[in-house]
Amino acid sequence: MKKLSLFTICLIILVGSWVFLRFVVGGIISVPIPGSVIAMYMGLIIIAILVHISVEDSLFQEFRRPILETLVEDKRRNHRRVLVVLIPLLLLGYTYSIIAQRANPPGSPRDAHPSPPLELTYKDEVIGTMQDVVNPFRHYEKDDPEAFRAHVENGKRVYHQNCFYCHGDHLDGQGHFAPYLQPLPANFQDPGIIPNFQESFFFWRIAKGGPGLPAAGTPWDSPMPIWENTLTQDEIWDVILFLSDYTGYQFRTFGEAH
Amino acid sequence: MIFCLAQSVKSHGWLDNSLYFRSANLRCRFAAVMLFLILGVFSMLTAAYAQNAPQASEKGKEVYENSCAHCHGTEGRGDGSAAENLLPKPRDFTRGLYKIRSTETGELPTDQDLFDIITEGMPGSSMPPWDTALSANDRWEVVAYIKTFYDGFKEAETSPKQINLSGKVAYSEQSIETGKALYTELGCVECHGNIGRGDGTSAPDLTDEWGFQSWPANLTQGWNFRGGSDTEDIFKRFIGGLAGSAMPAFEGDSFPGFGLTAEESSRMTELDNKDEMTEAEEEESAQLYEKYDAAVDIALNLAEGTELSAEERQIYDDAMRVVYEKSWHLANYVKSLMPEKRPEPAIGNNVLRSQYVQSELPPMDDAAWGTLEARYFPLVGQIVIEPRQFNPTIDAVNVKSFYNDTEVAFLFTWDDRTHTTDETDEETGKTLEDALAVQFPVKVPQGPTAPKPYFLWGGRLPVYLWHWKASAPEQVTELTAKGINNAEAQAAQGELQVQSTYTNGQYKLWVKRALKTEDKKDLQLEPGVFVPIAFSAWDGANGDVDTKRVMTSWYTFVLEPVPSSKRFIYPPLIALLSVGFLFGLRAFVQRRNSEET
Repeated sequence: MKKLSLFTICLIILVGSWVFLRFVVGGIISVPIPGSVIAMYMGLIIIAILVHISVEDSLFQEFRRPILETLVEDKRRNHRRVLVVLIPLLLLGYTYSIIAQRANPPGSPRDAHPSPPLELTYKDEVIGTMQDVVNPFRHYEKDDPEAFRAHVENGKRVYHQNCFYCHGDHLDGQGHFAPYLQPLPANFQDPGIIPNFQESFFFWRIAKGGPGLPAAGTPWDSPMPIWENTLTQDEIWDVILFLSDYTGYQFRTFGEAH
Repeated sequence: MIFCLAQSVKSHGWLDNSLYFRSANLRCRFAAVMLFLILGVFSMLTAAYAQNAPQASEKGKEVYENSCAHCHGTEGRGDGSAAENLLPKPRDFTRGLYKIRSTETGELPTDQDLFDIITEGMPGSSMPPWDTALSANDRWEVVAYIKTFYDGFKEAETSPKQINLSGKVAYSEQSIETGKALYTELGCVECHGNIGRGDGTSAPDLTDEWGFQSWPANLTQGWNFRGGSDTEDIFKRFIGGLAGSAMPAFEGDSFPGFGLTAEESSRMTELDNKDEMTEAEEEESAQLYEKYDAAVDIALNLAEGTELSAEERQIYDDAMRVVYEKSWHLANYVKSLMPEKRPEPAIGNNVLRSQYVQSELPPMDDAAWGTLEARYFPLVGQIVIEPRQFNPTIDAVNVKSFYNDTEVAFLFTWDDRTHTTDETDEETGKTLEDALAVQFPVKVPQGPTAPKPYFLWGGRLPVYLWHWKASAPEQVTELTAKGINNAEAQAAQGELQVQSTYTNGQYKLWVKRALKTEDKKDLQLEPGVFVPIAFSAWDGANGDVDTKRVMTSWYTFVLEPVPSSKRFIYPPLIALLSVGFLFGLRAFVQRRNSEET
């Protein structure tokens, strides 16, 4: 077999690395890699190739020989003909695709968990400050397990009559209405949701729904209803008990010291 | 290795083929055989595991009560706390009636059937797939547990008889044609409508075993088929029926032309349709009927438990073979009615782009609309504000659009099984009718962080609406709304042109408006600007009125700008420059080479 020229080897390394990064690492092994990161790696590889071929003059001569041959020598006439058509065509296609690119719809920058107001209210009644309000039935968990179960069961009923269409049977945000809602319903099985918030935060989000969000939460987009119009305070607290009971996650608390 | 496998498969009589044994391939062949054995044993093991649920246990009860009881009820009666608002209703397990089975009519489902439904869920209903939420083991435990709600499972002595799928007829144009004829012949049209949109004349009146509304499937929306939309699935639903629903099983002897070959059957129909028959034809017809009656008698005898003679058995088996073959044609026809999968919603690459034309905009029936691909806006129930709609019957609105220098035209289509223009709601006394509303903001938000109006008919910021009602099909009312219960018809109604039709279970609505109007409460359109758009739809027959409706949240559309003419200048220029560069490079190298020598 003919020995590959240095130029061909470099070309193979370059193309091979790109394919490896784009399709093997960013596809088979892991999620797609951003274009800028690929460009960075490719830059490093090109520098490495340039360093390699410029270490010795003989290497550089060897590297450029096929290029010069293709440009002038008679035996490479056919290669030349192909390239003189192919290179302009590729450039033509590339510039056309850039110029003719269609505008894309604007994204919706949205804060999924915007900061709550200082005061927690139900309708217009002030319950307390967001920091200090606790679930009035939470203490039953230790004091009266039977009463606690009753509240959880009631929360379960409320959940399945109101919430599960979007938030799902399994509380995973995959209810049968969910796929076509934008933004997607919250997934309570996500370990980053319940443990990050106090129960009072959940009460606020449930009671005020999408329209009660501050502007950063794009209140015009969220299909979350204003539940204080439909549910009583007790029902909301019961649902919150059910959410942590079913998923096994504990809501965030600041402990006794606070 | 693979080569060896292929060879051993190729020569089935390989034991006799001593050449092979003597050959150096012997070891290779031995390995192949071993591999087959291992694979065989493995598949038998998995099959054995797959077909039977374990004994009912406490574990099954626990999983059931934790994950299923809120819909299906702790006693399995389908009366959990969520059931009230659901349609289709959660299954009542105490009657042993299961819609999705691989078994023949009147039979119970197999354990595997129950397992599969739990695993995959039932599209178009509130039954979700449990494949990720429950382990396979837990799902089997649940299968065992739900079987305890119906004694028939315990009493059954033999395993249920499965539908024979071996005679599958390949999908072909001809098979579809045959199936289509059968679709009419069997009366599928009466419920499922002329071309399958579930709009048959009896569609609104169907109820299930429990007396609940049971809408016939829209056969053009395979993604809503409860038991899947593969040809095999369709075939099984057809042969086995959907127990408990209004969909009957097409048992053999209810088939027209039972006991006749396909040719004889079509000849019989042909003779039936003749106004006058010659004597020979009359005799031929009588003979065919005799054959048909005889076969039906045999089927009835069999159903009553009478032993069949060998001859009768032969006639019956032949007749059933024809029935199965026809049913495959029908399944192929139904399969041909639907797209391969549910269309992607109109976001990202599928965003609605109105196409520019220089001329007059095409009217509703113009062929030009056929050149555009419709954009799909899936609808969900409005469950934010009372009264709510938990069980939508309209799947989606499909939209196409053209614009020119002065006007824009939209074509909206949506499937609705019933054409309702004036019906009175028994509960509220309100007038029910089909309708569509298209929603835009009055002012297009500038930039991605600028606020939009609330998606449900606005709030602090107003929305501009086109409201169309089936009772006034040639009219669209312009509304301004600041909330779902706070909409007003504009005092100055613009000059909107409207056309609409309702055919075969589908509404088509065409609306044309000027891009710019004088009215400050109207949306003003400009090419290249992304405009929020949303929909509300009402199906009168489903009780939709006022806030009870189906809807979308905000999507966007754009009047696609006419592409810049630069695209014809710069790319060729760059290509030319590159040619020049290549030749220049060559000339440079040549000159240097000649200087060196």
